Amino acid sequence: MTRPRQHSRHPTPRPTRRALLWSLLGLCTFAGQSARAESTPEFRVLVNPDNPVNSLSRDFVTDIFLKRTTRWHDGETTHPADQRADAAVRKSFSDTVLRRSVAAIKRYWQQRIFSGRDLPPPELDNDDAVVAYVLKHRGAIGYVTNSAKLGRAKSVSIQ
Amino acid sequence: MSLLALPAVARAEDAADGSSPLGIEIHGFVSQGFIKTTSNNYLAEDSTKGSFEFSEVGINFSKQLTDRMRVGMQLFTHDLGPLGNYRTRFDWFYLDYRFWDFLGVRAGRTKLPFGLYNENNDIDAARVPVLLPQSVYPVSNRDFLLAQTGGELYGIVPLAAAGSLEYRLYGGAIFYDTADATSTLSNVRGPYIFGARLMWQPPVEGLQLGASAQRLRLDGDAIFSAAQIAQLQMAGQLPSDFSGPLKFQIPATLGVASVEYSAHDLLLASEYSRWWVNLTSSVPSFSVPETVSERFYLMAAYHVTPWFTPGAYYSVLFQNIDNRKGDAPAYGSPPGTPPLGRGAYQHDLALTLRYDLNSFWLLKLEGHYMHGTAGLSSALNGNQPLSSLPEDWGVFLVKTTAYF
Repeated sequence: MTRPRQHSRHPTPRPTRRALLWSLLGLCTFAGQSARAESTPEFRVLVNPDNPVNSLSRDFVTDIFLKRTTRWHDGETTHPADQRADAAVRKSFSDTVLRRSVAAIKRYWQQRIFSGRDLPPPELDNDDAVVAYVLKHRGAIGYVTNSAKLGRAKSVSIQ
Repeated sequence: MSLLALPAVARAEDAADGSSPLGIEIHGFVSQGFIKTTSNNYLAEDSTKGSFEFSEVGINFSKQLTDRMRVGMQLFTHDLGPLGNYRTRFDWFYLDYRFWDFLGVRAGRTKLPFGLYNENNDIDAARVPVLLPQSVYPVSNRDFLLAQTGGELYGIVPLAAAGSLEYRLYGGAIFYDTADATSTLSNVRGPYIFGARLMWQPPVEGLQLGASAQRLRLDGDAIFSAAQIAQLQMAGQLPSDFSGPLKFQIPATLGVASVEYSAHDLLLASEYSRWWVNLTSSVPSFSVPETVSERFYLMAAYHVTPWFTPGAYYSVLFQNIDNRKGDAPAYGSPPGTPPLGRGAYQHDLALTLRYDLNSFWLLKLEGHYMHGTAGLSSALNGNQPLSSLPEDWGVFLVKTTAYF
Protein backbone atom coordinates (compact mmCIF):
# COMPACT_ATOMS: atom_id res chain seq x y z
CA MET A 1 0.00 0.00 0.00
CA THR A 2 1.49 3.32 -1.00
CA ARG A 3 -0.97 5.70 0.58
CA PRO A 4 0.53 9.20 1.06
CA ARG A 5 1.08 9.96 4.74
CA GLN A 6 0.59 13.44 6.04
CA HIS A 7 2.04 14.63 9.31
CA SER A 8 1.27 18.12 10.49
CA ARG A 9 4.25 20.12 11.78
CA HIS A 10 2.04 22.89 13.09
CA PRO A 11 1.08 23.28 16.75
CA THR A 12 -2.09 21.50 17.77
CA PRO A 13 -4.99 23.62 16.49
CA ARG A 14 -7.65 24.75 18.94
CA PRO A 15 -10.44 22.38 17.83
CA THR A 16 -8.12 19.41 18.30
CA ARG A 17 -7.17 20.61 21.78
CA ARG A 18 -10.84 20.90 22.61
CA ALA A 19 -11.44 17.38 21.34
CA LEU A 20 -8.58 16.15 23.51
CA LEU A 21 -10.08 17.90 26.51
CA TRP A 22 -13.45 16.24 25.92
CA SER A 23 -11.73 12.88 25.53
CA LEU A 24 -9.91 13.36 28.86
CA LEU A 25 -13.16 14.35 30.55
CA GLY A 26 -14.73 11.18 29.15
CA LEU A 27 -11.87 9.09 30.53
CA CYS A 28 -12.22 10.75 33.97
CA THR A 29 -15.92 9.89 33.92
CA PHE A 30 -15.04 6.30 33.05
CA ALA A 31 -12.46 6.10 35.84
CA GLY A 32 -15.03 7.38 38.34
CA GLN A 33 -17.58 4.85 37.16
CA SER A 34 -15.06 2.01 37.47
CA ALA A 35 -14.11 3.07 40.97
CA ARG A 36 -17.76 3.08 42.03
CA ALA A 37 -18.32 -0.33 40.47
CA GLU A 38 -15.52 -1.83 42.53
CA SER A 39 -16.97 -0.64 45.83
CA THR A 40 -19.38 -2.72 47.92
CA PRO A 41 -22.19 -4.06 45.73
CA GLU A 42 -25.34 -1.98 46.04
CA PHE A 43 -27.64 -4.92 45.40
CA ARG A 44 -28.63 -8.33 46.61
CA VAL A 45 -29.21 -11.35 44.38
CA LEU A 46 -32.39 -13.26 45.12
CA VAL A 47 -33.66 -16.73 44.32
CA ASN A 48 -36.84 -18.59 45.11
CA PRO A 49 -36.92 -19.99 48.70
CA ASP A 50 -37.32 -23.52 47.28
CA ASN A 51 -34.06 -23.20 45.36
CA PRO A 52 -31.42 -25.13 47.35
CA VAL A 53 -28.50 -22.85 46.40
CA ASN A 54 -27.02 -20.47 48.95
CA SER A 55 -24.13 -19.11 46.94
CA LEU A 56 -23.37 -18.83 43.24
CA SER A 57 -20.32 -18.13 41.19
CA ARG A 58 -20.28 -14.83 39.34
CA ASP A 59 -19.67 -16.67 36.04
CA PHE A 60 -22.74 -18.84 36.56
CA VAL A 61 -24.93 -15.81 37.30
CA THR A 62 -23.55 -14.09 34.20
CA ASP A 63 -24.37 -17.14 32.09
CA ILE A 64 -27.91 -17.20 33.47
CA PHE A 65 -28.53 -13.52 32.73
CA LEU A 66 -27.08 -13.84 29.22
CA LYS A 67 -29.10 -17.06 28.80
CA ARG A 68 -25.99 -19.04 28.03
CA THR A 69 -27.16 -21.35 30.80
CA THR A 70 -30.85 -22.23 31.07
CA ARG A 71 -30.80 -24.85 33.83
CA TRP A 72 -30.00 -24.83 37.52
CA HIS A 73 -27.82 -27.68 38.73
CA ASP A 74 -30.94 -29.63 39.75
CA GLY A 75 -32.39 -29.32 36.24
CA GLU A 76 -34.91 -26.59 36.99
CA THR A 77 -35.25 -23.97 34.26
CA THR A 78 -33.67 -20.63 35.07
CA HIS A 79 -35.88 -17.52 34.95
CA PRO A 80 -33.69 -14.42 35.24
CA ALA A 81 -35.33 -11.03 35.75
CA ASP A 82 -33.69 -7.69 35.07
CA GLN A 83 -34.65 -4.27 36.29
CA ARG A 84 -35.28 -1.25 34.05
CA ALA A 85 -32.29 -0.06 32.03
CA ASP A 86 -32.27 3.31 33.81
CA ALA A 87 -32.38 1.84 37.32
CA ALA A 88 -29.25 2.49 39.41
CA VAL A 89 -29.38 -1.08 40.73
CA ARG A 90 -29.28 -2.42 37.15
CA LYS A 91 -26.11 -0.45 36.48
CA SER A 92 -24.52 -1.66 39.69
CA PHE A 93 -25.43 -5.30 38.94
CA SER A 94 -24.29 -5.03 35.33
CA ASP A 95 -20.94 -3.46 36.19
CA THR A 96 -20.20 -5.79 39.09
CA VAL A 97 -21.55 -9.16 37.95
CA LEU A 98 -21.85 -9.04 34.17
CA ARG A 99 -18.83 -6.72 33.95
CA ARG A 100 -20.29 -4.92 30.99
CA SER A 101 -22.12 -1.63 30.85
CA VAL A 102 -25.91 -1.65 30.63
CA ALA A 103 -25.55 -0.23 27.11
CA ALA A 104 -23.31 -3.15 26.09
CA ILE A 105 -25.80 -5.63 27.52
CA LYS A 106 -28.66 -3.89 25.71
CA ARG A 107 -26.67 -4.18 22.50
CA TYR A 108 -26.05 -7.88 23.18
CA TRP A 109 -29.80 -8.41 23.44
CA GLN A 110 -30.56 -6.31 20.37
CA GLN A 111 -28.30 -8.68 18.44
CA ARG A 112 -30.10 -11.70 19.86
CA ILE A 113 -33.61 -10.31 19.43
CA PHE A 114 -33.33 -9.15 15.84
CA SER A 115 -31.34 -12.14 14.62
CA GLY A 116 -33.94 -14.45 16.13
CA ARG A 117 -31.53 -16.04 18.58
CA ASP A 118 -33.19 -15.41 21.90
CA LEU A 119 -35.19 -13.03 24.04
CA PRO A 120 -33.91 -10.99 26.99
CA PRO A 121 -35.04 -11.48 30.58
CA PRO A 122 -38.10 -9.42 31.46
CA GLU A 123 -37.33 -5.89 32.67
CA LEU A 124 -39.30 -5.37 35.85
CA ASP A 125 -40.21 -1.97 37.22
CA ASN A 126 -38.84 -2.09 40.76
CA ASP A 127 -37.65 -4.18 43.69
CA ASP A 128 -41.16 -5.25 44.67
CA ALA A 129 -41.82 -6.60 41.19
CA VAL A 130 -38.56 -8.56 41.27
CA VAL A 131 -39.38 -10.07 44.67
CA ALA A 132 -42.86 -11.04 43.44
CA TYR A 133 -41.35 -12.61 40.30
CA VAL A 134 -38.79 -14.58 42.30
CA LEU A 135 -41.48 -15.89 44.65
CA LYS A 136 -43.68 -16.90 41.72
CA HIS A 137 -41.10 -18.92 39.76
CA ARG A 138 -39.10 -21.68 41.39
CA GLY A 139 -36.23 -21.17 38.94
CA ALA A 140 -36.24 -17.38 39.15
CA ILE A 141 -33.26 -15.20 39.94
CA GLY A 142 -33.22 -11.42 40.26
CA TYR A 143 -31.50 -8.58 42.06
CA VAL A 144 -32.77 -5.77 44.25
CA THR A 145 -31.38 -2.81 46.17
CA ASN A 146 -30.02 -3.47 49.65
CA SER A 147 -33.00 -1.71 51.22
CA ALA A 148 -35.64 -3.87 49.49
CA LYS A 149 -38.06 -5.95 51.52
CA LEU A 150 -37.36 -9.55 50.57
CA GLY A 151 -40.35 -11.32 52.07
CA ARG A 152 -39.70 -15.07 51.69
CA ALA A 153 -37.24 -14.60 48.82
CA LYS A 154 -33.77 -15.92 49.54
CA SER A 155 -30.68 -13.77 49.21
CA VAL A 156 -27.63 -15.63 47.89
CA SER A 157 -24.00 -14.65 47.94
CA ILE A 158 -21.99 -14.20 44.77
CA GLN A 159 -18.42 -15.49 44.72
CA MET B 1 -53.13 -35.24 23.69
CA SER B 2 -54.86 -32.46 25.64
CA LEU B 3 -53.32 -33.66 28.86
CA LEU B 4 -49.91 -33.64 27.27
CA ALA B 5 -50.46 -30.08 26.17
CA LEU B 6 -51.33 -28.82 29.67
CA PRO B 7 -47.78 -28.44 30.99
CA ALA B 8 -46.81 -26.55 27.87
CA VAL B 9 -49.70 -24.14 28.40
CA ALA B 10 -48.72 -23.62 32.01
CA ARG B 11 -45.12 -22.94 31.03
CA ALA B 12 -46.25 -20.54 28.35
CA GLU B 13 -48.15 -18.58 30.99
CA ASP B 14 -45.03 -18.50 33.10
CA ALA B 15 -43.00 -17.27 30.17
CA ALA B 16 -45.53 -14.53 29.65
CA ASP B 17 -44.38 -12.83 32.83
CA GLY B 18 -42.87 -9.53 31.80
CA SER B 19 -44.02 -9.72 28.19
CA SER B 20 -47.37 -9.32 26.44
CA PRO B 21 -50.52 -10.97 27.85
CA LEU B 22 -50.28 -13.76 25.25
CA GLY B 23 -46.60 -14.27 25.92
CA ILE B 24 -45.74 -13.05 22.44
CA GLU B 25 -42.71 -10.79 22.35
CA ILE B 26 -42.96 -8.15 19.66
CA HIS B 27 -39.95 -6.11 18.63
CA GLY B 28 -39.33 -3.85 15.69
CA PHE B 29 -37.16 -1.18 14.18
CA VAL B 30 -37.34 1.58 11.60
CA SER B 31 -34.18 3.10 10.13
CA GLN B 32 -33.61 5.94 7.72
CA GLY B 33 -30.19 6.82 6.44
CA PHE B 34 -28.53 9.30 4.15
CA ILE B 35 -25.41 8.57 2.17
CA LYS B 36 -23.15 11.02 0.39
CA THR B 37 -19.89 10.29 -1.36
CA THR B 38 -17.27 12.77 -2.52
CA SER B 39 -16.90 10.81 -5.76
CA ASN B 40 -17.90 7.32 -6.99
CA ASN B 41 -21.43 6.08 -6.48
CA TYR B 42 -21.45 3.68 -3.55
CA LEU B 43 -24.39 1.49 -2.53
CA ALA B 44 -26.86 3.90 -4.19
CA GLU B 45 -27.08 5.23 -7.74
CA ASP B 46 -26.74 8.90 -6.87
CA SER B 47 -24.64 8.83 -3.75
CA THR B 48 -22.37 11.54 -5.13
CA LYS B 49 -25.36 13.87 -4.98
CA GLY B 50 -26.58 12.39 -1.72
CA SER B 51 -29.17 9.65 -1.44
CA PHE B 52 -31.91 8.77 1.00
CA GLU B 53 -32.28 5.30 -0.53
CA PHE B 54 -31.13 3.75 2.72
CA SER B 55 -34.13 2.54 4.71
CA GLU B 56 -34.90 -0.54 6.79
CA VAL B 57 -38.03 -1.67 8.59
CA GLY B 58 -38.43 -4.89 10.54
CA ILE B 59 -40.87 -6.38 13.00
CA ASN B 60 -40.62 -9.69 14.73
CA PHE B 61 -42.82 -11.93 16.84
CA SER B 62 -41.46 -14.58 19.17
CA LYS B 63 -43.18 -16.90 21.56
CA GLN B 64 -41.76 -19.24 24.14
CA LEU B 65 -44.07 -22.23 23.77
CA THR B 66 -42.45 -24.29 26.52
CA ASP B 67 -39.26 -24.03 28.56
CA ARG B 68 -37.43 -25.66 25.69
CA MET B 69 -39.35 -24.67 22.59
CA ARG B 70 -39.61 -21.27 20.94
CA VAL B 71 -41.00 -20.05 17.63
CA GLY B 72 -40.44 -16.75 15.90
CA MET B 73 -40.54 -14.82 12.67
CA GLN B 74 -39.37 -11.46 11.39
CA LEU B 75 -40.75 -9.48 8.49
CA PHE B 76 -38.27 -7.17 6.85
CA THR B 77 -38.31 -4.61 4.09
CA HIS B 78 -35.57 -2.32 2.96
CA ASP B 79 -34.28 -0.08 0.25
CA LEU B 80 -30.59 0.34 -0.43
CA GLY B 81 -29.91 1.82 -3.83
CA PRO B 82 -30.88 -0.83 -6.39
CA LEU B 83 -31.50 -3.48 -3.68
CA GLY B 84 -34.62 -4.21 -1.72
CA ASN B 85 -37.04 -1.67 -3.17
CA TYR B 86 -39.36 -2.14 -0.19
CA ARG B 87 -40.35 -5.70 -1.02
CA THR B 88 -41.44 -7.28 2.24
CA ARG B 89 -40.09 -10.73 2.98
CA PHE B 90 -39.51 -13.16 5.81
CA ASP B 91 -36.12 -12.24 7.17
CA TRP B 92 -36.19 -15.29 9.40
CA PHE B 93 -38.62 -17.76 10.89
CA TYR B 94 -37.84 -20.74 13.00
CA LEU B 95 -38.85 -23.44 15.39
CA ASP B 96 -36.23 -23.79 18.09
CA TYR B 97 -35.96 -26.68 20.53
CA ARG B 98 -33.20 -26.65 23.13
CA PHE B 99 -32.73 -30.17 24.56
CA TRP B 100 -29.89 -29.11 26.80
CA ASP B 101 -27.60 -26.10 26.90
CA PHE B 102 -25.10 -28.11 24.89
CA LEU B 103 -27.58 -29.19 22.20
CA GLY B 104 -30.38 -27.34 20.50
CA VAL B 105 -31.94 -27.60 17.07
CA ARG B 106 -33.50 -24.94 14.88
CA ALA B 107 -35.42 -25.37 11.66
CA GLY B 108 -36.71 -22.75 9.25
CA ARG B 109 -35.09 -19.73 7.71
CA THR B 110 -32.25 -18.82 10.02
CA LYS B 111 -29.51 -16.21 9.99
CA LEU B 112 -26.07 -17.48 8.99
CA PRO B 113 -23.56 -17.47 11.83
CA PHE B 114 -20.50 -16.34 9.90
CA GLY B 115 -17.90 -14.40 11.86
CA LEU B 116 -18.84 -12.17 14.75
CA TYR B 117 -21.48 -9.99 13.13
CA ASN B 118 -23.00 -11.50 9.98
CA GLU B 119 -26.29 -12.15 11.75
CA ASN B 120 -26.45 -8.46 12.71
CA ASN B 121 -25.68 -6.99 9.32
CA ASP B 122 -29.10 -5.33 9.12
CA ILE B 123 -29.57 -4.55 12.81
CA ASP B 124 -28.47 -0.98 13.22
CA ALA B 125 -29.28 -0.79 16.93
CA ALA B 126 -27.02 -3.73 17.73
CA ARG B 127 -23.75 -2.18 16.64
CA VAL B 128 -21.84 1.08 16.68
CA PRO B 129 -20.97 1.65 13.00
CA VAL B 130 -23.58 2.40 10.36
CA LEU B 131 -21.78 0.08 7.97
CA LEU B 132 -20.02 -2.94 9.35
CA PRO B 133 -16.54 -3.39 7.83
CA GLN B 134 -17.49 -3.97 4.22
CA SER B 135 -14.53 -6.18 3.48
CA VAL B 136 -15.96 -8.99 5.61
CA TYR B 137 -19.66 -8.01 5.69
CA PRO B 138 -20.54 -6.48 2.32
CA VAL B 139 -24.04 -5.12 2.60
CA SER B 140 -24.58 -5.76 -1.11
CA ASN B 141 -24.37 -9.51 -0.34
CA ARG B 142 -27.12 -9.26 2.23
CA ASP B 143 -29.73 -11.02 0.16
CA PHE B 144 -27.82 -14.24 -0.25
CA LEU B 145 -25.25 -14.38 2.54
CA LEU B 146 -27.41 -13.43 5.50
CA ALA B 147 -29.81 -16.35 5.90
CA GLN B 148 -30.48 -19.89 4.78
CA THR B 149 -33.53 -22.11 4.71
CA GLY B 150 -32.75 -25.36 6.43
CA GLY B 151 -31.63 -26.52 9.84
CA GLU B 152 -29.09 -25.81 12.51
CA LEU B 153 -27.58 -27.52 15.54
CA TYR B 154 -26.18 -25.33 18.28
CA GLY B 155 -24.99 -25.44 21.84
CA ILE B 156 -22.50 -24.33 24.45
CA VAL B 157 -20.07 -26.92 25.78
CA PRO B 158 -18.44 -26.15 29.16
CA LEU B 159 -14.68 -26.72 29.15
CA ALA B 160 -14.11 -26.41 32.91
CA ALA B 161 -11.02 -24.25 33.52
CA ALA B 162 -10.63 -23.65 29.78
CA GLY B 163 -13.87 -21.67 29.56
CA SER B 164 -16.57 -22.76 27.14
CA LEU B 165 -17.09 -23.51 23.47
CA GLU B 166 -20.12 -22.36 21.52
CA TYR B 167 -20.81 -24.20 18.29
CA ARG B 168 -23.23 -23.71 15.40
CA LEU B 169 -23.59 -26.24 12.56
CA TYR B 170 -26.00 -25.54 9.72
CA GLY B 171 -27.06 -26.61 6.29
CA GLY B 172 -29.76 -25.73 3.80
CA ALA B 173 -30.44 -23.72 0.68
CA ILE B 174 -30.18 -20.03 -0.16
CA PHE B 175 -33.16 -18.09 -1.38
CA TYR B 176 -32.16 -15.32 -3.76
CA ASP B 177 -34.70 -12.69 -4.70
CA THR B 178 -34.33 -12.44 -8.47
CA ALA B 179 -35.98 -9.03 -8.35
CA ASP B 180 -32.68 -7.82 -6.94
CA ALA B 181 -30.71 -9.35 -9.79
CA THR B 182 -29.46 -7.13 -12.57
CA SER B 183 -31.16 -7.17 -15.95
CA THR B 184 -28.54 -9.61 -17.23
CA LEU B 185 -29.08 -12.19 -14.47
CA SER B 186 -32.05 -14.44 -13.93
CA ASN B 187 -33.05 -17.63 -12.16
CA VAL B 188 -30.38 -17.08 -9.52
CA ARG B 189 -30.59 -19.61 -6.72
CA GLY B 190 -28.42 -21.22 -4.08
CA PRO B 191 -28.99 -24.99 -4.13
CA TYR B 192 -26.92 -25.59 -1.02
CA ILE B 193 -25.02 -23.98 1.80
CA PHE B 194 -23.49 -25.59 4.84
CA GLY B 195 -21.05 -24.44 7.43
CA ALA B 196 -19.99 -24.14 11.02
CA ARG B 197 -18.95 -21.56 13.54
CA LEU B 198 -16.96 -22.27 16.69
CA MET B 199 -16.51 -19.57 19.31
CA TRP B 200 -14.28 -20.21 22.28
CA GLN B 201 -14.77 -18.14 25.40
CA PRO B 202 -11.53 -18.62 27.36
CA PRO B 203 -11.41 -17.79 31.08
CA VAL B 204 -10.53 -14.17 30.30
CA GLU B 205 -13.38 -11.80 30.99
CA GLY B 206 -14.99 -10.54 27.77
CA LEU B 207 -12.67 -12.35 25.36
CA GLN B 208 -13.84 -14.71 22.64
CA LEU B 209 -12.00 -16.27 19.75
CA GLY B 210 -13.57 -18.12 16.89
CA ALA B 211 -13.49 -19.53 13.41
CA SER B 212 -16.24 -19.87 10.82
CA ALA B 213 -16.37 -21.62 7.49
CA GLN B 214 -19.09 -22.13 4.95
CA ARG B 215 -19.44 -23.73 1.57
CA LEU B 216 -22.13 -22.65 -0.88
CA ARG B 217 -23.02 -22.55 -4.54
CA LEU B 218 -24.96 -20.00 -6.55
CA ASP B 219 -26.46 -21.02 -9.90
CA GLY B 220 -28.05 -18.77 -12.48
CA ASP B 221 -28.44 -17.65 -16.05
CA ALA B 222 -26.82 -14.66 -17.70
CA ILE B 223 -28.98 -13.12 -20.40
CA PHE B 224 -27.42 -10.97 -23.12
CA SER B 225 -29.11 -8.66 -25.57
CA ALA B 226 -28.74 -9.37 -29.29
CA ALA B 227 -26.29 -6.47 -29.55
CA GLN B 228 -24.20 -7.79 -26.66
CA ILE B 229 -24.15 -11.28 -28.18
CA ALA B 230 -22.98 -9.90 -31.52
CA GLN B 231 -20.28 -7.86 -29.79
CA LEU B 232 -19.08 -10.81 -27.72
CA GLN B 233 -19.12 -13.08 -30.77
CA MET B 234 -17.00 -10.57 -32.66
CA ALA B 235 -14.56 -10.51 -29.77
CA GLY B 236 -14.42 -14.30 -29.92
CA GLN B 237 -15.81 -14.70 -26.42
CA LEU B 238 -19.01 -16.42 -27.51
CA PRO B 239 -19.30 -19.19 -30.10
CA SER B 240 -20.96 -18.19 -33.37
CA ASP B 241 -23.90 -20.53 -32.73
CA PHE B 242 -24.59 -19.16 -29.22
CA SER B 243 -28.26 -18.55 -28.56
CA GLY B 244 -28.20 -18.08 -24.77
CA PRO B 245 -28.79 -17.96 -21.95
CA LEU B 246 -25.37 -18.55 -20.49
CA LYS B 247 -25.68 -20.86 -17.52
CA PHE B 248 -23.22 -20.41 -14.68
CA GLN B 249 -22.35 -21.86 -11.30
CA ILE B 250 -20.38 -20.07 -8.60
CA PRO B 251 -19.11 -22.44 -5.93
CA ALA B 252 -17.50 -20.62 -3.02
CA THR B 253 -15.83 -21.38 0.27
CA LEU B 254 -15.67 -18.65 2.90
CA GLY B 255 -13.59 -18.70 6.05
CA VAL B 256 -13.00 -16.19 8.82
CA ALA B 257 -11.01 -16.11 12.05
CA SER B 258 -12.39 -13.81 14.74
CA VAL B 259 -11.36 -12.26 18.02
CA GLU B 260 -13.46 -9.97 20.18
CA TYR B 261 -12.89 -8.37 23.54
CA SER B 262 -15.91 -6.79 25.17
CA ALA B 263 -15.66 -5.73 28.78
CA HIS B 264 -17.28 -2.88 30.68
CA ASP B 265 -17.45 -0.01 28.15
CA LEU B 266 -14.84 -1.16 25.68
CA LEU B 267 -15.24 -3.24 22.53
CA LEU B 268 -12.30 -4.40 20.45
CA ALA B 269 -12.72 -6.74 17.49
CA SER B 270 -10.69 -8.01 14.61
CA GLU B 271 -11.34 -10.57 11.88
CA TYR B 272 -9.35 -12.05 9.04
CA SER B 273 -11.17 -13.71 6.18
CA ARG B 274 -10.49 -15.43 2.89
CA TRP B 275 -13.04 -16.31 0.23
CA TRP B 276 -12.30 -18.92 -2.43
CA VAL B 277 -14.57 -18.34 -5.42
CA ASN B 278 -14.62 -19.65 -8.96
CA LEU B 279 -17.08 -19.49 -11.81
CA THR B 280 -17.93 -22.26 -14.23
CA SER B 281 -20.19 -21.61 -17.17
CA SER B 282 -21.73 -23.32 -20.15
CA VAL B 283 -19.32 -21.29 -22.32
CA PRO B 284 -15.77 -22.17 -21.28
CA SER B 285 -14.38 -18.73 -22.15
CA PHE B 286 -16.57 -17.23 -19.42
CA SER B 287 -15.32 -19.59 -16.72
CA VAL B 288 -13.00 -18.07 -14.16
CA PRO B 289 -10.48 -20.16 -12.24
CA GLU B 290 -10.51 -20.03 -8.47
CA THR B 291 -9.75 -16.59 -7.06
CA VAL B 292 -8.85 -16.08 -3.42
CA SER B 293 -9.80 -12.75 -1.90
CA GLU B 294 -8.48 -11.45 1.41
CA ARG B 295 -10.38 -9.37 3.92
CA PHE B 296 -9.59 -8.10 7.41
CA TYR B 297 -10.36 -5.31 9.81
CA LEU B 298 -9.62 -3.88 13.25
CA MET B 299 -12.46 -2.20 15.14
CA ALA B 300 -12.83 -0.38 18.45
CA ALA B 301 -15.73 1.29 20.23
CA TYR B 302 -16.07 2.83 23.65
CA HIS B 303 -19.11 3.90 25.66
CA VAL B 304 -17.95 7.31 26.85
CA THR B 305 -21.34 7.88 28.41
CA PRO B 306 -24.55 5.81 28.22
CA TRP B 307 -25.68 8.09 25.37
CA PHE B 308 -22.45 8.58 23.46
CA THR B 309 -20.33 5.87 21.84
CA PRO B 310 -17.61 6.69 19.35
CA GLY B 311 -16.14 3.92 17.27
CA ALA B 312 -13.59 3.42 14.52
CA TYR B 313 -12.34 0.71 12.25
CA TYR B 314 -9.81 0.07 9.55
CA SER B 315 -10.89 -2.44 6.96
CA VAL B 316 -9.01 -3.87 3.99
CA LEU B 317 -10.16 -5.83 0.97
CA PHE B 318 -7.98 -7.44 -1.66
CA GLN B 319 -9.97 -9.02 -4.47
CA ASN B 320 -7.19 -11.43 -5.35
CA ILE B 321 -4.27 -12.35 -3.11
CA ASP B 322 -2.16 -12.95 -6.22
CA ASN B 323 -2.87 -9.45 -7.49
CA ARG B 324 -2.98 -7.22 -4.41
CA LYS B 325 -1.55 -4.17 -6.19
CA GLY B 326 -3.68 -4.61 -9.29
CA ASP B 327 -0.70 -4.98 -11.61
CA ALA B 328 -2.45 -7.74 -13.56
CA PRO B 329 -5.91 -7.92 -15.15
CA ALA B 330 -8.74 -9.72 -13.39
CA TYR B 331 -8.08 -13.46 -13.18
CA GLY B 332 -9.45 -15.28 -16.22
CA SER B 333 -10.06 -12.14 -18.31
CA PRO B 334 -9.46 -12.29 -22.05
CA PRO B 335 -6.09 -11.24 -23.47
CA GLY B 336 -5.70 -7.50 -23.84
CA THR B 337 -7.73 -6.65 -20.73
CA PRO B 338 -6.09 -3.77 -18.81
CA PRO B 339 -4.73 -4.31 -15.28
CA LEU B 340 -7.17 -4.13 -12.36
CA GLY B 341 -5.24 -1.24 -10.86
CA ARG B 342 -7.06 0.46 -7.97
CA GLY B 343 -9.98 -1.93 -8.52
CA ALA B 344 -7.91 -4.66 -6.87
CA TYR B 345 -8.01 -3.23 -3.35
CA GLN B 346 -9.94 -1.07 -0.93
CA HIS B 347 -8.71 0.44 2.31
CA ASP B 348 -11.48 1.87 4.45
CA LEU B 349 -10.85 4.02 7.51
CA ALA B 350 -14.12 4.77 9.30
CA LEU B 351 -15.08 6.90 12.28
CA THR B 352 -18.55 6.70 13.86
CA LEU B 353 -20.32 8.76 16.49
CA ARG B 354 -23.35 7.00 17.95
CA TYR B 355 -25.80 8.96 20.06
CA ASP B 356 -28.45 7.06 21.99
CA LEU B 357 -31.01 9.82 22.31
CA ASN B 358 -33.14 7.65 24.57
CA SER B 359 -33.76 3.95 25.11
CA PHE B 360 -35.53 3.50 21.78
CA TRP B 361 -34.01 6.06 19.45
CA LEU B 362 -30.48 6.54 18.18
CA LEU B 363 -28.60 8.70 15.73
CA LYS B 364 -25.30 7.90 14.04
CA LEU B 365 -22.85 10.04 12.10
CA GLU B 366 -20.13 8.28 10.16
CA GLY B 367 -17.28 9.22 7.84
CA HIS B 368 -15.08 6.97 5.71
CA TYR B 369 -11.82 7.66 3.98
CA MET B 370 -11.55 5.18 1.11
CA HIS B 371 -8.48 4.27 -0.87
CA GLY B 372 -9.14 1.97 -3.82
CA THR B 373 -12.30 0.96 -5.63
CA ALA B 374 -12.54 -2.80 -5.08
CA GLY B 375 -15.82 -2.65 -3.19
CA LEU B 376 -17.59 -0.52 -5.78
CA SER B 377 -20.12 -1.58 -8.38
CA SER B 378 -19.30 -0.79 -11.97
CA ALA B 379 -23.03 -0.80 -12.73
CA LEU B 380 -23.62 2.08 -10.28
CA ASN B 381 -20.85 4.06 -11.94
CA GLY B 382 -21.90 4.15 -15.56
CA ASN B 383 -20.36 0.72 -16.25
CA GLN B 384 -16.91 2.26 -16.10
CA PRO B 385 -14.11 -0.13 -15.17
CA LEU B 386 -13.23 0.16 -11.48
CA SER B 387 -9.65 0.97 -12.45
CA SER B 388 -10.81 4.24 -14.00
CA LEU B 389 -12.73 5.54 -10.96
CA PRO B 390 -11.16 8.01 -8.50
CA GLU B 391 -8.86 6.16 -6.11
CA ASP B 392 -9.25 8.33 -3.01
CA TRP B 393 -12.75 9.22 -1.98
CA GLY B 394 -14.95 9.73 1.04
CA VAL B 395 -18.29 8.50 2.31
CA PHE B 396 -20.50 10.33 4.83
CA LEU B 397 -23.49 8.69 6.41
CA VAL B 398 -26.21 9.80 8.76
CA LYS B 399 -28.63 7.24 10.07
CA THR B 400 -31.33 7.27 12.66
CA THR B 401 -33.09 4.23 14.04
CA ALA B 402 -36.06 3.80 16.31
CA TYR B 403 -36.51 0.39 17.89
CA PHE B 404 -38.40 -1.37 20.60
